[in-house]
Parts: sequence; C-alpha cells; structure tokens
Amino acid sequence: MFSLSELENDALIEIFNIGVGQAASSMSAIVNEAVHMSVPSVSFINRAEAARLLDGKSTEPGAICGVSQHYEGAFSTEAILMFPEDKSLEIVRLMVGEAVSQKELTEMEQEAMCEIGNIILNSCVGTLANIFQRELQGSLPAYHVGTSDEILIASGSQADTVVLMLHIDFLLEKHQIHGYVAFVLDVSALHDLKEQINLYIARAMGQA
Amino acid sequence: MMNKLTEAHRLHLLHSVLCAVNLGAIVLDGERRVVLWNAWMIKHSGLGHDKVIGADFFAVCPGLRGGRVESAIQHALYNNFPSLLSQTLNKAPFALYASPAAAARDERIQQAVEVRPIAVEGAARHCLIQINDVSIAVGREKLLREQAMVLRTQTFADGLTGIANRRHFDVAMEKEHRRAKRGGTPLSLLMIDIDHFKAYNDHYGHQKGDQCLIQVAAALAAMLRRPCDLMARYGGEEFAMILPETDVEQATLMAEAIRARTQELAIPHERNSDAGQQVTVSIGIATQRVDAPAGIEALIGAADRALYLAKRNGRNRTEALLPA
Repeated sequence: MFSLSELENDALIEIFNIGVGQAASSMSAIVNEAVHMSVPSVSFINRAEAARLLDGKSTEPGAICGVSQHYEGAFSTEAILMFPEDKSLEIVRLMVGEAVSQKELTEMEQEAMCEIGNIILNSCVGTLANIFQRELQGSLPAYHVGTSDEILIASGSQADTVVLMLHIDFLLEKHQIHGYVAFVLDVSALHDLKEQINLYIARAMGQA
Repeated sequence: MMNKLTEAHRLHLLHSVLCAVNLGAIVLDGERRVVLWNAWMIKHSGLGHDKVIGADFFAVCPGLRGGRVESAIQHALYNNFPSLLSQTLNKAPFALYASPAAAARDERIQQAVEVRPIAVEGAARHCLIQINDVSIAVGREKLLREQAMVLRTQTFADGLTGIANRRHFDVAMEKEHRRAKRGGTPLSLLMIDIDHFKAYNDHYGHQKGDQCLIQVAAALAAMLRRPCDLMARYGGEEFAMILPETDVEQATLMAEAIRARTQELAIPHERNSDAGQQVTVSIGIATQRVDAPAGIEALIGAADRALYLAKRNGRNRTEALLPA
C-alpha cells in the first residue's frame, strides 16, 4: 500500500487543517455561530477498505450521504465528503436552524448539503492547490445517498484504487459530528501528490 | 472557415438566447467589473445596462460584499472553482423582486445561485453568476413542513389538556433559543403554577382536578396570538409559555393578563389561601437579555426561581428575574 513518511503525513494534515479552518469560518459566517472543523488524521487505504471503514461507523449500513466534486489539472481526483445519513441530517438542520426531524433530506436541504460539501471540498482542494502552487479545475457538487461502496463506485474507481481518507471533526453548538473526505486518486496522482508534498516541505525547510 | 457575417449572426444569436433564458446571468471580468447583465436581471433588479455595465460589481450590489457571494466570486476568479449557494443557507442574497409590488413589500425572489469560472482567451479569467428563481419549490417545501408540523403536534400534545407536552416544549425551547441568539432578539419564558393545586385535588377529587387543569390550559392557550408562541404542560399543575421576541415589559404584561384571566374563570377553590376562594395562578417570568444570551437551563432556572418568589410573596401574583 502507498504510504507517506511521518513528515509527509504531518505536512498533509497541516495543509488540510488550513483548508477546513477556512471552510469553518465560511460556515460560521452563514450561521452566525462558531463552527469548528479539524482533520485529526489522514490515511491511505484501498476503496474496499474505505467502504468498510465508513460502514463500520454507521448504525445501519447503507445509509451514507455523500457530496462529490471532480477536480482535474495538476492532478485529478474525485473528492467526496461523506457522513452517515443521520449525521448529514443533523448538520443540515443545525446549519439551517430547523428542528423538524424528517427521515430524509428534502430537496432544498439536499442542496444545502451540497453547498456545505462545496465549501469544505473547495477549501481543502484550494488550499492544496495554493500550497502546491498549481491550478485545478473543479466541477459543481453532486449529492448521493447509498452504501459507501455505491458512493465510492460512482466515481468510476476500481476496488483497488487508493483512497486518501481524511477524518473530519465538525463541531457546531456543542454537537460533535465525525465525517470523512475521501480523495479517490490513481497511481500517477498519488505520485504527484507525494512529489508536491516534498516540494512543499523543502520550501518550508528552506525558509526556516 | 466562418465568414464575418455568420460570426456576427452567431454572436447575435447567443446574445438573444442569453436574454431569453429564464434565469439571471451576470458575467464579471477578472477585476470584478460587470461585463454582462441579462434581461432577466434587468427585469428583476430594476437596474438597466447604463447603471451596471462596466461598474464594479460590489458598487452595484454593495450588500453582497464580505459574504458568501464574494467568497464564491473569489473562488471562481482566483482558484478556478465553482460554488453553489443554496437557498436554504443563503436567504435571498440578491435584491431581486418578482414585481414592483413585491419590491415595495421587500419580498425577494427565493434564489439558488451558482458561480462558475469562465476562461476567456487573451484576458484574465471571468466568472458567471447564475441565479435561479426557486420561490415555487420553497413554497412547496414550506407547505410540506407545515403539514409535517401538524402531524407532529399530534404526538407532541399533552394527553389530558391537548396543549403541547414537555417534549414539545423542549424541542421548541431549543429552536427558539437558537433563533433568539442568532437574530439578536429577546426571549421570554413564563412558568405558571396553579396555587394550592394539591389541596384542590385532595378536596375536590382527581376528576375535578383534571377538569380544572383542562379549563385553565384551554383559557390560557387561547390567549396566545402569534404562531411562534407556545404554551406547554411542563409538569403536573405547572405550565410553561415560550414568548419569542418578547422583552421583559411585554412579558410582564402578558403574565399579568394571564393571572387576571385565570381569576375571571371563577373556578371555586375553597382551600386556596387567596381571599377570593377561587383558582389562581402564580407566575415566574424570565427574559433573556439580547446582549448577554444565557443558556436554556439558566433561563428555565430563572423562571423557576421567579415562580418560587411569587409563591413566597403571597401567590396570585407575578415576579420577574434575569437569568444568572
């Protein structure tokens, strides 16, 4: 399996924390409340393992809600924000400030979830692109509900494709919610990523 | 190869299509100046080309500065990323109206907005802002939500009195508390307790006791006029009233009116300490200050203490306290 050195791993976590920090401040501005987000860890696993990881956190497997965006340019990736479906309901309703507890997101709420995904993914990938001094193009977000495998497959990836998994902690009004961002990467994208991380580390070291 | 005429035709056609589409389209250049503002935008914003073309976008729409729309434009122009602004999370950012009458009422079109980067040959990247009118969908969801609320009230109602139960109170309290905090509006809570109710029950029996509760609950609930006000059965003979956007003066007036209304019911109560020998209530009032919002527990605690004070000071009266 593809892996990073401890230093590379730490650099990547740092970059993603800058990204979700920006996303959290955009979201705070929307709800006029403190929103905190952090990325405590990242891991590289294959798609099948990623699906198992996601299902393990869900009380009733199959109920995963995802928002995906495709990015291409310096490297190409499918980025997917994923929460167990009940958690996505919780996030949207906390953001919207509504207490109605229907079992599924309504159309308008799905769109709100897409916006939340759009903010988080654009911030993460944008920070990555800025730090790597590269430019990427992105698509608009798409909303999916299904099993984790279905959502990961929707990106057209093979079972052995490597997934870069970010654990995201999301804190709003005393509610702590755990979610994931998966970046589905092919082998060349993985090598590009590793190369870019090392360039970033070299620049950071050079300046220090 | 395309000759000059067809090129001109194509441009003309594209322009006509852009004007004919049933959505708002704005294009900004790399300096965030308006280069395109379609007919839909003119119609719903009331701003013609003379006012917008070439102007700084944030001079045309100053209200959008510093918000989500600006950050979406930044993302499109500088990061090359598209953004989605949902109606639910962004309440009608653009000042767009269905008609002059709607504009006079300040009733904006409900909007779903997309901001996309546009590559332009020989110039800095532009961005396209698309605005969809989603008013109909919003109306439909509102209706569904209201119907769902009606269904829920059936499981949220107190079995005896038919008013909201404790669970409903907890949910409503959480919602109104959050709304008050975000909106910077005051929120008042009344705790209402029937005086010497245990003695009433012992003297007249439980059936009469239940009837008393039903009668008082119905009379007091009927005093609420606004849809967001809520009266709930909080405990045995204790009721709670949530009054959003109500300051301490208004809450005190309301509490006094409730106290007086209960007396008007003229329900005999021989064991009451009050000279009138009728059913009376004591009321504790707590109001959350706009500048220092307290937690829900603090608000309920203050109302409880105020109620205790009203009891101690002789019953059939109201007392107000600020949350600690």
